[in-house]
Amino acid sequence: MIGEPRQAPGGGRMSVGQIERELGKLRTNDDGTLALRSSVLNLVVVTDEESAQEITDSVSRLAGRHPARAVVFIADPEGESTVDVRLSAYCNVRGGGGAQVCAEQVTIHAEGPPAQHLESFAGPLLVPDLPVFLWYPGEFSPRSQEFAAMADLADRIIVDSAASENHETCLREIATLIEDPEMPAIGDLQWVGLSPWRSLLADTFGAPERAGDLERIESAEVLYAPGGENRALLLVGWLASTLGWKPESANRGGQNIEFSGPSGRISVVLSPGSPDARLRRIRLYSSEYSYQVSRHRELSDVRTTVMQEDELVAERTVHLGSFDLGVLVGEELSYRGRDEAYEGALRAAVEILDL
Amino acid sequence: MADTQVLQNILRDEQRLPRVPEPGVMVIFGASGDLTARKLVPALYDLAAQRRLPLEFAVVGLSRTHMSHEEFRGKLRKALEEHRPGEVSDDVWESFASGVFYLPGDSKKWETYDELKDLLKRLDSERGTQGNRAFYLSSSPSLFPAIVENLGEAGLNEGEDGGWSRLVVEKPFGRDLRSAQDLNSELQRYFDETQIYRIDHYLGKETVQNILALRFANGIFEPLWNQHYVDHIQITVAEDIGVGTRGAFYEEAGALRDIVQNHVMQVLCLTAMEPPVTFDAESVREEKVKVLKAVRPIPEDRVEDYAVRGQYERGWVFGEEVPGYREEENVDPESVTETYVALKLFVDNWRWARVPFYIRAGKRLPKKATEVAIQFHSSPHTPFAHDDTEGLAPNVLVVRIQPDEGLSLKIGAKVPGTGFEVSSVNMDLLYGTAFLEEAPDAYQRLLLDLMLGDPTLFIRADEAEGAWKILDPVMRHWSEMREVSFYPAGTWGPEEADALLERDGREWRRP
Repeated sequence: MIGEPRQAPGGGRMSVGQIERELGKLRTNDDGTLALRSSVLNLVVVTDEESAQEITDSVSRLAGRHPARAVVFIADPEGESTVDVRLSAYCNVRGGGGAQVCAEQVTIHAEGPPAQHLESFAGPLLVPDLPVFLWYPGEFSPRSQEFAAMADLADRIIVDSAASENHETCLREIATLIEDPEMPAIGDLQWVGLSPWRSLLADTFGAPERAGDLERIESAEVLYAPGGENRALLLVGWLASTLGWKPESANRGGQNIEFSGPSGRISVVLSPGSPDARLRRIRLYSSEYSYQVSRHRELSDVRTTVMQEDELVAERTVHLGSFDLGVLVGEELSYRGRDEAYEGALRAAVEILDL
Repeated sequence: MADTQVLQNILRDEQRLPRVPEPGVMVIFGASGDLTARKLVPALYDLAAQRRLPLEFAVVGLSRTHMSHEEFRGKLRKALEEHRPGEVSDDVWESFASGVFYLPGDSKKWETYDELKDLLKRLDSERGTQGNRAFYLSSSPSLFPAIVENLGEAGLNEGEDGGWSRLVVEKPFGRDLRSAQDLNSELQRYFDETQIYRIDHYLGKETVQNILALRFANGIFEPLWNQHYVDHIQITVAEDIGVGTRGAFYEEAGALRDIVQNHVMQVLCLTAMEPPVTFDAESVREEKVKVLKAVRPIPEDRVEDYAVRGQYERGWVFGEEVPGYREEENVDPESVTETYVALKLFVDNWRWARVPFYIRAGKRLPKKATEVAIQFHSSPHTPFAHDDTEGLAPNVLVVRIQPDEGLSLKIGAKVPGTGFEVSSVNMDLLYGTAFLEEAPDAYQRLLLDLMLGDPTLFIRADEAEGAWKILDPVMRHWSEMREVSFYPAGTWGPEEADALLERDGREWRRP
């Protein structure tokens, strides 16, 4: 949690004017001075009762690097028609001058018909002239009118392709969204979670004598745990789209995939045998080298090795980085515009699913 | 897919993945010193742990102290633990430390460089460091010429097998114009200027870089940033601490050499420079050098009209009685070394013609503050009655660098009431606090830039010399004088510094 949390009393239905007034009061310090409002973006979140606490905690942690006006919807379109608004601010003292700076959060419980028109709440609460990020931490319905209306407000949509029970359908639906010219750019937390893996894998080809080996990869293995299917698929999709591999065939429920590459065939095994980490290990093999990036016995660390036949030529252990929800979302908030690498990886992943 | 593309490691060719330097070795001269354990190695460890260094990376420490690789690693680990207890991962440290080596040797003797060369070759083959080397001179400046000559004679001024070789020099870059020129020609005898990275950690600070962001990423300030609108500029670099245990060093240096020649001149350049066409090293540094060249030389026979030096006496700083400079450890009781400097400079170019830049830097001032205050001309005519505008001062835009990084704008506003009384109000915008997180350490940023081969935030030879050239007449004059003005610790400098502005009908602002 960043800084001191402040909560406004009350709740229930409030007007936009009341919300702004109460948020202003929350920024008033005990001595009557007014803390500054700091915001670099608007963050609109749509979640459910079950995840609300975890999401609220993540949003408060985001205030450090991405101070925002956060509007969190806890929506249940099935219930009785009710609206309940709660307000809070996370304030922090920085520097010797003692100036307070606050990031604000508006939490709206909406049930029944109001939950189908969240855009009518969100629109008036956005801070002008700042980008709008729309985050669905859980399942979402990209074909619904509600989703389209919310997407209309957003500059970027953040989803989690692993949040749905059917991971394949979810990937396909996101792939459809990225082809829709009306949709804002889309980010996927499963892709963000791959960043350190991608960077570490790229490092293994940093030596000039091995960069050329990328063209000679013959096989790969990805070890993951249940829940990590999309992460594994996106990783393979990224390799395929970057290295020019074309998916040709798959068997054993899509776990053995054959690609044709610039220099021949590539066999990839997706193995769901990891006991814990969503992504445990990736290995690439060429005729001369084998490359491995593997989570350490301490899951916070990751070990990279490069073998030339039986000889270890490079080895290193570093921090894998945090996969905390707030960190992953924070990474997405740092990015503007379309992520072409992700879109390429996603299209390739869907091609693999189509085999 | 073309071979050339593949050789560039196309997996890395993507904007969302961080740039990682090429494989290489960093050789630290003076490795048993404080800077290595306190700053350099922690910064390198953090960069490694955060996956910002290449897989094939090594550090070689070199100094006269006899130590084994293991002892050196142990010493660094201990220092790291002291600075951040509980934050060092055993596995990550072991992995990092396996690439840390130590070579005992006298940097003045050529034999040392034969050994170094052998060790670097071995690392190229065992750790894949590709013949790329950065030599970090963290030893005493008096050893720089010998080290550079020996590196050159050993052929280490060029990377092995087409690799690169870079030289990092810590300040001070000389102690006057002549010695800076001598040092630069020593360095340039063996290293090309593009290989030389003069490090002033001040430029690695996010807050200093933010001056550039403020000026050149915002369209509203630049039209006002010139002599048409600006009356004068005040640059303040104030510290509340004294010289502490650095008395012996400070006796040799003084505030002019310690702070003004480097940090303050950099702030002056960033404040006064023209917008560079691009944010690459040569464009940015070219504009900075133009500012230094445009600074009007101070006539040696009129130094008193432009410069004031002061020294703190016993006094009170924030409720604590503190000793005077002459009472500090390792300080001559008769010392005339300056702990405070005030200067009046002019930047004679189209933008800044006739605008004085008042500069002050000192120790044991009332508080720590670094800021640039741009005072605008008064409004040409006020329609309000004289009595109603008594509380109204000209507009001042203050760019605060530390603490409380941000902007403050003094503007005239109507005082609530039935009349039309107008008064000045300070509007604060703390852009530094918009992001509540702490910025990364300056050394981390600069070491990464060094390994990436980006010299934008390093000092070029002509920058270092340009700054000395401005200050040389002042130093020469002061070296002949036996008087220094005094100020009680905890005050804003000697009376002569106030007089410097009063003569122009102006006064120092209180930061």
